[in-house]
Amino acid sequence: MQTWMILLLWLMYLGLTANLQLSNLVVGLLIAVTLTAFLHPDPLRVDVRQAPGAAWSLARYVVVVAKDVIQGGIQVARLVLDPKLPVKPGVIAIPSGSESEWATALSAHAITLSPGAMVIEIGEHGMMYTHTLDTTHADESIAEMQRLRRDLLEKILPEE
Amino acid sequence: MDEILQLIAIIAVVAGTAFSTLGVLGFIRLPDVYTRLHATGKVGVFGVVLLLAATVAWTPLGWSKGLVLIIFLLLAGPVTSHALSSAAYRIGIPFATAVRDDLAESSEGGSPEEVAA
Repeated sequence: MQTWMILLLWLMYLGLTANLQLSNLVVGLLIAVTLTAFLHPDPLRVDVRQAPGAAWSLARYVVVVAKDVIQGGIQVARLVLDPKLPVKPGVIAIPSGSESEWATALSAHAITLSPGAMVIEIGEHGMMYTHTLDTTHADESIAEMQRLRRDLLEKILPEE
Repeated sequence: MDEILQLIAIIAVVAGTAFSTLGVLGFIRLPDVYTRLHATGKVGVFGVVLLLAATVAWTPLGWSKGLVLIIFLLLAGPVTSHALSSAAYRIGIPFATAVRDDLAESSEGGSPEEVAA
């Protein structure tokens, strides 16, 4: 069933229109149902029993990524403002540690979102080739962040 | 309440503009396309999101609209960075300076210079 997908699209429509009148609710629901009927997106599987745990993991994931992004932003700002421009760019291979395509893709998204690191290519077994501005100790720090992210993502995403 | 919202808006505008300026500065100073993408990515993440936060705090734009827009931006921004860098690597744009390159040593890679030749 596509119930969860319809609900998500409906919430997105209501968020974008910011209007809770009955007519708008009905129009939003119709649009969500029509879109799902015609586009057949992959159904969102939500296990209601595991939902609270997954939501908690999602909240922690957001906090972890936000912290990473802010740290990266400050680090890149200092690099850019430094008169000597001490960048040591390079490409390092980081294993995503997960065979799931979703977990790998979301990890790559989080890495690219934080300034100073960017996934160029994804190889076999979820190996992420990551371009970083400062390669000196990027290895351990990114790999450590990746383990944390993978553990959280595996709790968020339902088993395949 | 108005003062608090105004203060938040002012701080967000100043920080967002500062990060956008830093992004442009990095774009000018950094040596090659890959490192420059780091700087421009920062404009997308900090600059636009902070300016949107200020907009939500101090203009009639609804918070739900701002939230959905911020989520869309945060989802789509890294995709453009990745697509640009991946395309640049595949057409063989070399690194200006590279301390190490694990991708060239892997089976997936072939260094940019070799691909170009």
